[in-house]
Amino acid sequence: MMIPVRCFTCGTVIGEHYEAFEERASDGDEDPAEVLDDLGITRHCCRRMMVSHTDLVDVVAPYQ
Amino acid sequence: MSGQFDVQIIERDDRQARFVVRGLTPALANGFRRAMVADVPTFAIDSVRFTENSSVMFDEMIGLRLGLVPLTTPLNDFEIGDTVTVALDVEGPATAYSGDIESSDELVQPADDNIPIVELKEGHSLKFEADAVLDTGKDHAKQQGGVAVGFRHLQSVTVGDDIGEFDEQEPEILRGAIETDEGEVILTKEFDHDLTNRYPGTELTVEDVPGAYVFHVETDGSFDVEELVLRAAESLGDRADELHDAVTV
Repeated sequence: MMIPVRCFTCGTVIGEHYEAFEERASDGDEDPAEVLDDLGITRHCCRRMMVSHTDLVDVVAPYQ
Repeated sequence: MSGQFDVQIIERDDRQARFVVRGLTPALANGFRRAMVADVPTFAIDSVRFTENSSVMFDEMIGLRLGLVPLTTPLNDFEIGDTVTVALDVEGPATAYSGDIESSDELVQPADDNIPIVELKEGHSLKFEADAVLDTGKDHAKQQGGVAVGFRHLQSVTVGDDIGEFDEQEPEILRGAIETDEGEVILTKEFDHDLTNRYPGTELTVEDVPGAYVFHVETDGSFDVEELVLRAAESLGDRADELHDAVTV
């Protein structure tokens, strides 16, 4: 639904970087790997949280 | 065992640090790591009273997310079990961020302001009051101040003879920090974690340095690394004293 607040594996707070990541890598044309490095998300456990996440709020909202 | 430990800081900023400690046993190093994870208390939201929640997520899901938001914890001013009331009131269309949480105590604030709690659409609203409790990571993982705390043996590199001109050199991947021939401690990221980048064309011997450990410590933002490390050392000392008092009659 929403991006998890913390990385499941190591517990680092990653939620705060998701919007910046979306804006720069998914909507923008920057290289996702470079954006993650720039945001300070260096471990692969934290990186998968960002890369594999899908926001479902827009999908669920009409049925509320 | 000598009472002195030699500590050398390799890199350090507010939320993460790397340092070498010499004169430790593996058991003591691990005890220290565990103290950082489980014994240093932090504030975390523990119970939530919802007055209004028409968002797409259930109360429990929002409660879980709130518990994970790190709150700044001035450990000198609070004791384990103390509570601080926080509140949030956001109406859609908007996203409720951790920065929207208002605290009754200005010392206890969300450590990061941009964590999205829930996205609210037109007509949705979220309103609640919650209690943040100071407790240790032993009690609940959300109260852990240290995040990804680990240590590994310090490794030393000895440079040998040149390898044959046509011999293929295998990559020698190392992580963290190493000690060079000259006794200097350097980070492996300086040579992209591959020793052959630093010493091309030579034979290399990598050995563990006895009793020396490289710690890598990160905090969730509740306090800085220095506070975490010192508090952990203090709690370890306190528990050793407790044991000493218990066994001496």
